[in-house]
Amino acid sequence: MPFHLSVFLENKPGRLEKIMKVLAENKINLSAMSLASSGKFGVVKLLVNDPQKAFNELKKQKITVTKRKIAAIVIDNIPGSFYDLLRKLSDKGANIEDCYGFLLNDGKTAAMVLEIENQPAAENILKDIDANMLDESKIYNY
Amino acid sequence: MFWQKEIETAPRPEILKLQLQMLNNTIERAKRSKFYSKKLENISPLKNIEQIKELPFTTKEDLRSGFPYDFLSVELGEVVRLHSSSGTTGNPTVVYHTAQDLDNWANISARCMYTAGARKNDIFQNTMGYGLFTGGLGFHYGAERLGMMTIPIGPGNSKRQAWFMQNFATTTVHILPSYALRLYHSMKEDGINPKKDLKLKMFFIGAEPHTEELRREIQELYGLKAFNSYGLSEISGPGVAFECLEQDGMHIWEDYVIPEIIDPDTLEVLPDGEEGELVLTAINRYAMPIIRYRTRDITAIIVKPCSCGRTHRRITRIKGRTDDMMIINGVNIFPVQIEKTIMNIPQASKNYIIEIGEENYMDRLSVKIEINDDTFSGTLEDLEKLKYKIEAELKSETGVSPTVSFVDQGTLPIAEGKVKRVYDLRKKNKF
Repeated sequence: MPFHLSVFLENKPGRLEKIMKVLAENKINLSAMSLASSGKFGVVKLLVNDPQKAFNELKKQKITVTKRKIAAIVIDNIPGSFYDLLRKLSDKGANIEDCYGFLLNDGKTAAMVLEIENQPAAENILKDIDANMLDESKIYNY
Repeated sequence: MFWQKEIETAPRPEILKLQLQMLNNTIERAKRSKFYSKKLENISPLKNIEQIKELPFTTKEDLRSGFPYDFLSVELGEVVRLHSSSGTTGNPTVVYHTAQDLDNWANISARCMYTAGARKNDIFQNTMGYGLFTGGLGFHYGAERLGMMTIPIGPGNSKRQAWFMQNFATTTVHILPSYALRLYHSMKEDGINPKKDLKLKMFFIGAEPHTEELRREIQELYGLKAFNSYGLSEISGPGVAFECLEQDGMHIWEDYVIPEIIDPDTLEVLPDGEEGELVLTAINRYAMPIIRYRTRDITAIIVKPCSCGRTHRRITRIKGRTDDMMIINGVNIFPVQIEKTIMNIPQASKNYIIEIGEENYMDRLSVKIEINDDTFSGTLEDLEKLKYKIEAELKSETGVSPTVSFVDQGTLPIAEGKVKRVYDLRKKNKF
């Protein structure tokens, strides 16, 4: 399964900047991200074009980073399409840990990036509902 | 088994007899100093050892105000070395040694290491600081007296430490417990597994109060035995008390010091087994005898004889210093209580600091812990769970409610020496 990077960061000026500097200096492109904070510290999820290289470079800079499995599902860029997807997932009992999305190049479709609890059961659920999964190579370079 | 069997296993009455004789000699020698000539003016030779209670205490403030030479009991020409505290907060505490003092100290340090199982074929790497600090030179001469090949490497430079350990097959190391953890992580980063790649057999750990949990962690990480060491520069340095193979309390060498435990508030001497402040009288020192020195270290004397056969009594692990104690909204807390709690939570990193601040006129205890690379799962939920778990455990251990937060790796101020863990940010004299 494809993965994105989960990075620990303190909630202080300059911390997100430091992470982005590592990506910039290594010519790694950021496709999408989400950030959740718990007051003094938080976690940022990064979807990048070369996740393994990004992982190594962040580690070198003593940044706490780990890999998390994701599924990217293509949905139509029309009202109600994400609702349809979520309805199917919740019917199967899949709980979403984290989620963010980005518009695909054609402008007519979007990719929703999901972190689903209970791997690998989640993979079967995605098959069951016949989700339109974005190909691994396309996730990193859509 | 023993470095000096006769004295280490002497029957108690003989030890007490020897102590009385050495104490009376010490009093006479001490009277030659400016400080004790007044303090001990009316003291005649003691008839029994219990009378030590009648002698006055000596405090750290006395040593400071007696700077530089008020405690000197010999001609300056007899002195061959001085050791000194840093003196950043007023006069430093200076301690003088004659050649005989250094000889006695080397012997007592050798006895410590022999007691823990070190022998002349061992290779000894001394990572303690050399110089004015007594940790380095004290055991350096002890190790040479024992006959070990001694590597006087001093503190810091973890890569070099590991290189020496690998290339010279170091077996015994004198090390700060906090540095032992740091060194392990440095080795791990460089792909060195101390259990497989090194020949280490034992660590001598001391100079910082630490918990049993931290000792076990060090033993586990390196696959060796870590022995607790106790000493203080005012008496000479490391070597005052040391663990035997039983690892159950430290034998305090009673032909070198007379230990007492007092209640730090009432100054009453407490019976064996009760916890209080350790008071030491050095009975085998010449340049600077010191009588009933209030160490401010909290410990207890263990009543039960040790199965190793040594008759010198043991003291329990140092719980903290009377002046380490933090008072948080009226509750007394020792930093070691916090360390113990953190050590018991495997997912928590062992690198932390304690901050005491104020919020709405109340004291606020907060603990900052570096996030652990190995256990960061990647979800905020797990971090929060860990935070609440540590907070709950700390509350149950200390009785106050601290706030825990996680900080980036490598951001806590860690030196490769004694680690300052407690930062009191409260305004002094707030009333």
